[in-house]
Amino acid sequence: MIGFILADLRRLWAGAAVVILLVALATALGVTVTLQERALRLGSARAADKFDLVVGAAGSETQLVLSSVFLQPAPLPLASGDVLAKLSADPRVAWAAPIGFGDSFSGYPLVGTTRTLIASMVDGFAEGRIFEKEGEAVLGAAVRLPLGAEIKPMHGTAETGGETHAGVVYRVTGRLKPTGTPWDRAILVPIQAVWHIHGLGHHEDHDDEDHHDEHHTDSDHEHHGIDIDAPIVEDFAANAPGIPAILVKPKSIADAYRLRQAYRGGNTVAVFPAEVLTNLYATLGDAKLVLSAVAAGSQALVAAALILVTVTHVGQRRRQIGALRAFGAPRFAVFAIAWFELFLMVAVGVLFGFLIGLVAARWIADIFTVQSGIVLPVGFGKEDLRTLLLLLSTAALLSAVPAVLAYRQSPAKALRS
Amino acid sequence: MTLPETMLSLEVSDLSVSFAGLTSPVLAIGHLTIAAGERVAVTGGSGSGKSTFINMITGLDRAGTGSIRWNGSDITRLSETARDRWRAGHVGLVMQDFHLFPGLSAVDNVLLPARLARVADSAMIDRAHQLLSSVGLVRPGQKIETMSRGEMQRVAIARALLRQPGVIIADEPTASLDSSSGEAVATLLLDMAAAAKSTLIVVSHDPSLIGRLDRRLTLSAGRITADTAAKEQTR
Ligand SMILES: Nc1ncnc2c1ncn2[C@@H]1O[C@H](COP(=O)(O)OP(=O)(O)O)[C@@H](O)[C@H]1O
Ligand SMILES: [Mg+2]
Repeated sequence: MIGFILADLRRLWAGAAVVILLVALATALGVTVTLQERALRLGSARAADKFDLVVGAAGSETQLVLSSVFLQPAPLPLASGDVLAKLSADPRVAWAAPIGFGDSFSGYPLVGTTRTLIASMVDGFAEGRIFEKEGEAVLGAAVRLPLGAEIKPMHGTAETGGETHAGVVYRVTGRLKPTGTPWDRAILVPIQAVWHIHGLGHHEDHDDEDHHDEHHTDSDHEHHGIDIDAPIVEDFAANAPGIPAILVKPKSIADAYRLRQAYRGGNTVAVFPAEVLTNLYATLGDAKLVLSAVAAGSQALVAAALILVTVTHVGQRRRQIGALRAFGAPRFAVFAIAWFELFLMVAVGVLFGFLIGLVAARWIADIFTVQSGIVLPVGFGKEDLRTLLLLLSTAALLSAVPAVLAYRQSPAKALRS
Repeated sequence: MTLPETMLSLEVSDLSVSFAGLTSPVLAIGHLTIAAGERVAVTGGSGSGKSTFINMITGLDRAGTGSIRWNGSDITRLSETARDRWRAGHVGLVMQDFHLFPGLSAVDNVLLPARLARVADSAMIDRAHQLLSSVGLVRPGQKIETMSRGEMQRVAIARALLRQPGVIIADEPTASLDSSSGEAVATLLLDMAAAAKSTLIVVSHDPSLIGRLDRRLTLSAGRITADTAAKEQTR
């Protein structure tokens, strides 16, 4: 029987290939959409994992999260430096770290922050060490620059017509281990350097200018610069300039809620990024609806493909089934052949579809990771197994249709057709 | 006289077959008997009901009313499945367009129905090879689609004979063949049926084939208009 089925499929290999391809592509589309949507949800949630509480100036909570967790370039309102000072002194706070952004270098965002934040966010260094002077920088795991490279920050991004900060050069001292977050694509520099470049926080202005002139006597800048050898001060007790975002590590969960309460309203917002993301998914209901619609559409496509295949299969097999019956094949064998041949094609198509879907989703996720730094965990779960079983059972049922139809027709009629 | 058990006799009573949209029945036979071991030709113009007659007596179609008794048992009363099983055990069919399965070799085609019915033991496989060589085919492993039409019909005859049927029924077995291979196939069919001692019913227009059979039924517009014995035909 298997021999007969295989001979039949070999003979009609082009048709069988089209059937398998059709079913595979329709399945793959649904699988890709499903896997991608789930991976995006999980991946972004993981990216926000280390960000317990983010405080910023009053404004869009969503933008605050997108800019601080996902490093999406956008102008943020600045919270006053007092907020950082107050948070640093708050007994409910383990530590508070300013995050400053806006500059970039060869496509990578420059993020000004503290060593405390880096130490708590990342598992450590793949090579080199943390910055210890104002003119040093460390690289996220995905930044393709060597240790010792010179970083010349550009205001904004090259695409938006940013200009370089003349004379400012950081030297790379280390590379972090991967985190699977957008921060892997960032170049991390001391926040104090960012402030100095932008002429902020110069509470010891003349000292700085003196250093400056000593080191850059040949440049005729009116810009503010950094003192590459200055030690890093991460004590924000007072006099910090305006800050776009502050990452706060509360001492306990209860403290986290109290802090969020305390820094909501007035001039500041305090958000749990995970919560904002959840709300974001909820408000992005439309987008999700579109994805679900695409997924549902592709499922419908699979169903349509299956029905189309079934109908053509009935037509093609009518004569064959009639002949098998006429020449003495028993009912069960004819039924089994008609059923199994169709089911085999559809099942192979569905399995290929899952494979193609997985590969496609991985591929899309890789591209996404390269562009965003967010690692998307693409993979099959229990619910996918359920979908697979559902599809295969549907295929099994549908495959029986030609076999049943074949018996509703006399062999004489089937042979004539 | 005792007949071999495998030979089948036929008795048709009050058979009437109509199709939707047609005013008169396509086939109407009041009473007809064919004795076990008899060799009968069925002739008549195109559309006279020959194929309908074959489809009814083989149980391939159950469109009509009346009874069709083979060795006394009425196949019109059998279920679809039971009729398929009965046909597999008792009828060797040869059709105008072969109905062989491409992709399979000659011997696999001969054996396919028996294999699907799980009756193909080694004796039957040997018999398949013997039958192929007795119909003059020396390459049993040849793929069916590479054969000439005459060779294909020989394979079909071998398949019809495999399970030693009580009756061999052929519907225009030579009509789609050229005259020389048609003649060869006709001779083969008669010889094989004689050797198997089966009842034989052949629809044909071929005078040389008809002339070599015992009896000739002529159909016209679904009715038997002539029923002649061979000696009466011979001039
Ligand atoms: N399934 C059917 N539906 C309607 N008419 C049919 C059907 N089968 C056969 N006929 C008609 O019955 C008549 C006899 O057909 P058939 O037995 O095939 O003739 P023959 O084999 O003698 O040429 C023809 O007129 C044919 O058109
Ligand atoms: Mg006919």
